[in-house]
Amino acid sequence: MENQIFILVVEDELEVMDALVNDLEEFETHFPIETANSAAEAEQVVEHIIDSGSTVGLILCDHVLPGKNGVDLLIELQNENKTKDSRKVLVTGQAGLEDTVQAVNKAHLNHYIAKPWSKEGLHDVVIQQLTDYVINRKLNLLSYMSILDAERLAESLRDNPLTDH
Amino acid sequence: MTTFTKKQWIGLVLGLIGLIAPFFFNIEGLSEAGHIGLGIFFLAAVFWMLEPVPIYATSVLVIFLQILLLSKEGLIFGTPTDFYNPDSYTAFIGTLASPIIILFLGGFVLADAAVKYNLDRNLTRILLKPFGDKPKYIVLGLMVVTALLSAFMSNTATTAMMMTVILPIIARIDKSDPLRIGLALSIPFAANIGGMATPIGTPPNAVVIGTLSNQGINIPFGDWMVLATPLVIIVLFLTWLLLLFMFKPSTESIQLDMSGRFNTSGNAVLLYLVFAVTVLLWVSESLHGMKSAIIALIPVVVLSVTKVITKEDIRKLPWEVLWLVAGGISLGISMKNTGLAEWIVTSIEWTSFGTIAMIVAFSAVAIIMSNFLSNTVTATLLIPLAVSLATSGIAGEGFNLIIISVVIGMSASLAMVLPISTPPNAIAISTGALETKNMAKAGVVIGVFGIALVTLYAIFYWPIMLN
Repeated sequence: MENQIFILVVEDELEVMDALVNDLEEFETHFPIETANSAAEAEQVVEHIIDSGSTVGLILCDHVLPGKNGVDLLIELQNENKTKDSRKVLVTGQAGLEDTVQAVNKAHLNHYIAKPWSKEGLHDVVIQQLTDYVINRKLNLLSYMSILDAERLAESLRDNPLTDH
Repeated sequence: MTTFTKKQWIGLVLGLIGLIAPFFFNIEGLSEAGHIGLGIFFLAAVFWMLEPVPIYATSVLVIFLQILLLSKEGLIFGTPTDFYNPDSYTAFIGTLASPIIILFLGGFVLADAAVKYNLDRNLTRILLKPFGDKPKYIVLGLMVVTALLSAFMSNTATTAMMMTVILPIIARIDKSDPLRIGLALSIPFAANIGGMATPIGTPPNAVVIGTLSNQGINIPFGDWMVLATPLVIIVLFLTWLLLLFMFKPSTESIQLDMSGRFNTSGNAVLLYLVFAVTVLLWVSESLHGMKSAIIALIPVVVLSVTKVITKEDIRKLPWEVLWLVAGGISLGISMKNTGLAEWIVTSIEWTSFGTIAMIVAFSAVAIIMSNFLSNTVTATLLIPLAVSLATSGIAGEGFNLIIISVVIGMSASLAMVLPISTPPNAIAISTGALETKNMAKAGVVIGVFGIALVTLYAIFYWPIMLN
């Protein structure tokens, strides 16, 4: 369980959650998926992931949730050191302008996906966001070339190349 | 501290036992210093093979142990004995600034600046144009350009850049077309092969040149190219044919999207100029006689004075490669000086081998070893043996010191069977465009004709060039 990069999906409607997780299936080989139905549960899941020595690479978060809403959750996670670098994406149909502005300014929102999403569109976003994550964290880029944006990873290898030996 | 694997534990324990053991046994015909040298050699070999510590760390450990246990300023040989006249510690630390290291530093600075100003990619764009749009010629073009760049930049950095060129092409090719595999293999293979072409192409070359220079033999930059380039061209050409044969393209034509333009800022233009002048001066050493290590200081000085490369760029240079090479050269010093290398050589019955058999044997052993180990480590462990063989006269008349060293250096670069064989191979496999078995099949064929070609060159071509 150590040193894994998780994708966290926060969504309260079961059907929508199922559809999202289904569409993300092919990433599971490299990025295990965790789910949460509310902000409170999401906080617990994050804590559990961090405690087991792993990190959260990407958070796909609905806005309208029971209890604390999605934008507030993202802001909170942005302010915590351990999830500061995690890529944050809102997947919603109902975030108003004010909430969205909040998310961009305070949670450093990386992307906004409007419901309903297309599978290809979702894949693109996930690939680009996780590519950013592994490059920013200076991880071993080679192990992600087959699943993420190989071209961008190769480009990043040029800046900080492996060396001959 | 990271946790050790079982292999690393074995390496650590075995290496330490190997270091200490010679203090407690008396080996016939080996001096006291030779015993210590044997212990250090054993530790280095085991550490480099099983990697309980990083290979560059083993290299500095080797330098330190030699100073501690074998130098005049060390703990044991304060005064020379009848059997051992210890070197000063400066001989060992001096390897860190030996001419070949400075030559590499110059190469690093040039390559780093080239990447910074996109010179490598822009050259690729220009050079690929004449190769048209037919898949087989595009593969050839990619291989030629890759080999050319990797002769002056690191094989790994070249591969990373070329991957950004071919990945969009691969993405557009039908998944069932074997061309995908051929393309993905052409880059790392060409990078490995191209590295042989110049002294700065890849670190094993540095070990060869550094070790020979300790024997008083200086190989100018241009001379190395005269020896190596014909081999590079033929191996590259055969590899191209092999990849076309094994992975026959079914696509009719492919479009290269190579838009972009040269950076024309003052800094970039200065870099182009310095790059061209340095390379020209390197290859023309026989005309003007200025040593290649001195020329290597031109890019270091000019590019840092003009701030074309900054403090941050300098920090990013692959310094550990220099440690690795220096450790290798340093190990060679004490193997010779303590009589260890000669002892190893005389304990093998060489007379039963002919010269040709020995060349084939060294080439084959080097290729096999470096498929599993670092190319530089392979060269480091084998070359001192070859040097002793040649200088002790045991191997007979036809056994030329330079030729056998070059055989080992070239062979170390011809290992490309596995993803772990070289970093370029690791990059290619990680793209997911091919499977390990594709690489292994092609790599084995290249290894076999590599041994044959190296042997032929060693018998027919290199002797003519060296005389």
